Amino acid sequence: MSDHTSKQFDAEMEAIRSGVLSMGGMVERQMTRAITALREDEDARLIDAVAADEREINHSQVLIDQQCAQIIARRQPTAVDLRVVMTVTKVVNELERIGDEIKKVAYKSARVRGNDQLTRLRYHDVVRMAMGAQEMLRKALDAFARLDVNEAADVVEEDDEIDVAFNGVMRQLISYMMEDPRTITPALEVVFIAKSLERIGDHAKNISESVVQAVKGKDVRHATADQIRAEVAGE
Amino acid sequence: MKSAFRRGLASPALAALATLVAWAVAGPAWAAGVLAVGAGAIILFHLRHLQRVSDWASGPLDAEVPSGSGVWADAFAAIHRRVRLRKAQQREMGSIIERFRKAAEAIPDGVLLLDRHGHIEWANARAEQYVGLAMPADRGRPIVNLMRQPEFIRFMEGGEYAEPVLVEQSREPHLLSIQVVPYGASEKMLLARDVTQLEAVARMRRDFIANVSHELKTPLTVIAGFIETLQDLDLEPRQRERYLALMQDQASNMQRLVDDLLALSALESEHNPPNEAEFALVPLLLELSAQGKALAHGQHEIELIIGDAATVVGSRDELASAFGNLVSNAIRYTPPGGRIVLAWEVAADGGGRFSVKDSGIGIAREHIPRLTERFYRVDRSRSRATGGTGLGLAIVKHVLLRHQAELEIDSEPGEGSTFTVVLPPRRVKRAPAVAVERPPVAQASTAGGETAD
Repeated sequence: MSDHTSKQFDAEMEAIRSGVLSMGGMVERQMTRAITALREDEDARLIDAVAADEREINHSQVLIDQQCAQIIARRQPTAVDLRVVMTVTKVVNELERIGDEIKKVAYKSARVRGNDQLTRLRYHDVVRMAMGAQEMLRKALDAFARLDVNEAADVVEEDDEIDVAFNGVMRQLISYMMEDPRTITPALEVVFIAKSLERIGDHAKNISESVVQAVKGKDVRHATADQIRAEVAGE
Repeated sequence: MKSAFRRGLASPALAALATLVAWAVAGPAWAAGVLAVGAGAIILFHLRHLQRVSDWASGPLDAEVPSGSGVWADAFAAIHRRVRLRKAQQREMGSIIERFRKAAEAIPDGVLLLDRHGHIEWANARAEQYVGLAMPADRGRPIVNLMRQPEFIRFMEGGEYAEPVLVEQSREPHLLSIQVVPYGASEKMLLARDVTQLEAVARMRRDFIANVSHELKTPLTVIAGFIETLQDLDLEPRQRERYLALMQDQASNMQRLVDDLLALSALESEHNPPNEAEFALVPLLLELSAQGKALAHGQHEIELIIGDAATVVGSRDELASAFGNLVSNAIRYTPPGGRIVLAWEVAADGGGRFSVKDSGIGIAREHIPRLTERFYRVDRSRSRATGGTGLGLAIVKHVLLRHQAELEIDSEPGEGSTFTVVLPPRRVKRAPAVAVERPPVAQASTAGGETAD
């Protein structure tokens, strides 16, 4: 490959990576807005903004997927480059799904709003879960930006915490519902919010696993954080 | 100094002279021998020095300059001088660069240098902390990959850097104001400032104005409505009286609000230090309990427990208003038939504790940190129905701040709340157990050793 075309190729690779991260930035902003909606403001504009973010995110996904397809068709990348392109398409998919879940959280939070006392049930724990999911998302994207395997392993670890928090919220809500059937409707909304947040954690974890795969060429899906660290250190 | 060339000629000339003398004295064969030996010695001498120079020049940068003799001594001395000079210059440059670097580190804002592709070149410690960078590993990474906020990316791509951009982030600090200064050949300097606090203050100010307007508007609307009714309709005297009474209620609500606002602004003003004096606390407590009784209209049981007689240094009026606010809050938020206990004691460390414990509705945990914010209300309808201005606890907070005292709030929904004022030891003097008149309204019980009764 001549110097000119390889430079061009590098630029294209750089562009899809930056594209993913900029899309990640959109998802992070959407998440921040959803948390604000969850926490305080009874602002309909916030929900609209979250929905608009979601459309923008979908648009980005299509765009980056096209770029990836073009790179594969025109450049036939191999080895590390091919792995990065594959990772990019995977990460883009995960981000789009996170966007969907965040939209659900924002919509549900608007419905929970009117129902003051009843739905304050475990609300603090839910907000804390949301912040945990946001942190995971940020770290997963940082790991992708830096191709940092250790940071990626951290994210996998944090996912366990979110799962524990989800189970705790669940148990609490069930006991509320058994005590007083009037709490069932609002409690179910909170269940859906918590479930979405838990899913966001899972998607962030998937992003981190793709990062490990891109860097090390090893499939670490369904492995624990310690296994990942051992795998990486064993190189 | 003679030129090295001329001085260098001295030894060949000497050799030539020795050759001539040998020729004259001992003949051409000897002369040839002397010439050969002389020339050889000279060549050997120069070659050895040449070797030293070339060893030194190809050796490490800070190697000692070799010493030499004859014509080489001067040359080496000159080289030595130059090296010393250069080293001094280098040290100076180094220290200048070091000073600049330290200055850049000391800038209270985050400073980031970007190359012409927008990749990170250098960052001071604060920028690392603000943006969450790990230098030097993040050197050469595009800044937009690590600061991914869409506003920021658009700002960087737009290339219009006259105005700073506000960037929100989930990590601390939550709000950064970012300014970009292009310099050199399309390099950029990025300045990041933490404006979280500024923004919070601005927001509080906006909220405050909106709240004040709202609080004044509600009674005003009622009054205006009644005025219209009174003007338009010919009412019976009894109805007129009723409307006028309602109007008066609303007017006194507004009056209270304005009074509280004025009290707050007086407390906030730094030019108005508290009027400090030493005063006996027990009479104040008796007054408070009597006022509480009057306010409760016999609907609550009010008890006063005086653990230790004491004098307090501070502004009596301000502390009376702060304590009074706590008492009236307790009465307001306790349903009829409830029980309110006012207690005073001197703690082990010599500080004073005045607490108001009620058996009222209590406050959920998440509201407690915000209670002293102006116009913060847990339940709007209840607060206004009982005639609160929403400023009572804000006034308490300010009075206590001026007395270096603290407010502790302990509450459980449905169980009641306890508000405790903790006065610092230097403001409290335990008084000898003087005879204090028995509280007229309360059944004082014995909490401490020396009691009021």
